[in-house]
Amino acid sequence: MSQAPVVRLQNVTKVIGKRTIIDRVSFEVQPGEVFGFLGPNGSGKTTTIRMIVGLMGMTAGDIHVGNHSVRTEFPLAIEQVGAIVENPEMYKFLTGYQNLLHYARMNPSITKERIQEVVKLVGLEGRIHDKVKKYSLGMRQRLGVAQAVMHRPKLLVLDEPTNGLDPAGIRELRDYLRRLAQDEGTAVLVSSHLLSEMELMCDRVAILQKGQIIDIRSIRGQEGDVAATSEEVLFDVDHPDAALGILEGQGTGKIVDGTLSLSLDRAGIAAVNRRLVEAGINVYGIRVKIKSLEDQFLEMTGSDKIG
Amino acid sequence: MGKFMKLVQNENMKIYRRIRTWIMLGFIIGLPILISVGKLLTSDSNTTSSWGMMHIESVFSFILIIIFTVVIASETVAGEFTWGTIKLLLIRPWSRSAILLSKYISTMLFALFLTVIAFAVTYLINFALFGSSQAGEILGGFGGLSNGEFMLKFYLFQFISLIIIVTFGFMMSSAFRSSGLAIGLSISLLFAGSIVTGILASSDKKWVEYVLFMHLDLTTYINNPKGSISNHPMSLGFSLAVLAGYFILFNAISWTVFKKRDVAA
Repeated sequence: MSQAPVVRLQNVTKVIGKRTIIDRVSFEVQPGEVFGFLGPNGSGKTTTIRMIVGLMGMTAGDIHVGNHSVRTEFPLAIEQVGAIVENPEMYKFLTGYQNLLHYARMNPSITKERIQEVVKLVGLEGRIHDKVKKYSLGMRQRLGVAQAVMHRPKLLVLDEPTNGLDPAGIRELRDYLRRLAQDEGTAVLVSSHLLSEMELMCDRVAILQKGQIIDIRSIRGQEGDVAATSEEVLFDVDHPDAALGILEGQGTGKIVDGTLSLSLDRAGIAAVNRRLVEAGINVYGIRVKIKSLEDQFLEMTGSDKIG
Repeated sequence: MGKFMKLVQNENMKIYRRIRTWIMLGFIIGLPILISVGKLLTSDSNTTSSWGMMHIESVFSFILIIIFTVVIASETVAGEFTWGTIKLLLIRPWSRSAILLSKYISTMLFALFLTVIAFAVTYLINFALFGSSQAGEILGGFGGLSNGEFMLKFYLFQFISLIIIVTFGFMMSSAFRSSGLAIGLSISLLFAGSIVTGILASSDKKWVEYVLFMHLDLTTYINNPKGSISNHPMSLGFSLAVLAGYFILFNAISWTVFKKRDVAA
């Protein structure tokens, strides 16, 4: 990835009163990348996002979108950004179309045709001339997406986008974001505390805790590769105690919730299986325990108190 | 400039697409008609002065106009915070100053709209019902003003007071992000004005002449160039200068607060 980053945060710091809410946060998001922003409640995800879109000022550091500083060239920087910050709140007394028209008027590049196009894209054609107060939460989310992508932003910022969406809606949003990143090269920055969701959606995630980034890691291409290194392997057998006796000397084994748990490499799994079968023990299942993002996340952040 | 007018157009859409706004307009149109018809039914139309009726109704209309415009001014900023729409409004390629200015302009246009409607309605209904022949009452007193000139001045001076009170409401809205508080304080400014003026008028201190309340009723200057407070003779020019000072102060506070504010929660 040698392209210029779409958004670049440099030592962004936010101090409110005496508390440092955000402490020297730096990261970059590349074109076409879905970047996840992960952290427990109160870790500063939303504050960071609000600083990127200029809703909050920063105490120190700077944020650039493209080549433009959010601090000093706000209109030029924000022109390339589309965002939903928390729930997409709309003017309830206006229709969906009037809401979009409202935001379109503020951006000279958006034509009437583009509004129609976006309405179709989010599947609201049938209801766009209804008042927003009659919309369901899912429909408001769609309208929120529509206003965020109307001006073809280079960076799309979504704060907790799956809040209040049903599983089908979440899946649709996820597919849409991936398509947008792949086809149009849009950089997407998503924050969430739903780890499983982020795992499916993102290329990379930054983990934020107490206002600091404690880790940035890639997600893709990590699953399922049972390498030569030892992994925790679970054997589902009919007599775990007997099995453990048979395997005496085959590495460290223990019984977890009625299943046999061993630390093995690839060759070891086959060897153990053969010995169990030869000893007349029924093996119902073998699986490698993959550490999910959630496990890794909890390992890293521990059970720290908020604050 | 054309682009900026689109912001004003947006704000206008948010004002006039609400049923509430049309109910307000209904009051401004309906109330003078109701009073005039009531007058026609209860008294002899030959002794009723059209200009006199217009004057009385305009006093009522202006109280309503101030209340309604203050409601609009208070909600234009505070409402966006309450609804949460401020988050989507401020992430557009416009400075916060431009957005606030568009809100201020649309509020003032609303005030002007109601004022023009009130003038037209009070004029038309009274001349339709009572005719212009017996315009016996002279509103202009000894100043030598014709009735028409008096009413025009009355509307102009009331409109200036309206601007000040609405600017105050706008500032409160921007500072507290609570439309209820902004509306409450602005309306109390309107009604406490005469009480505070009464208290301060008896004081012989010089500084009371710089208190806002002493200048909110400019219509006293129409027939009396020194104003109605005998203890503190002032001139229209002086009052306008004091009001201009407050006008600048209120707007400076609105703009500073709105530009600096972190949009959290």
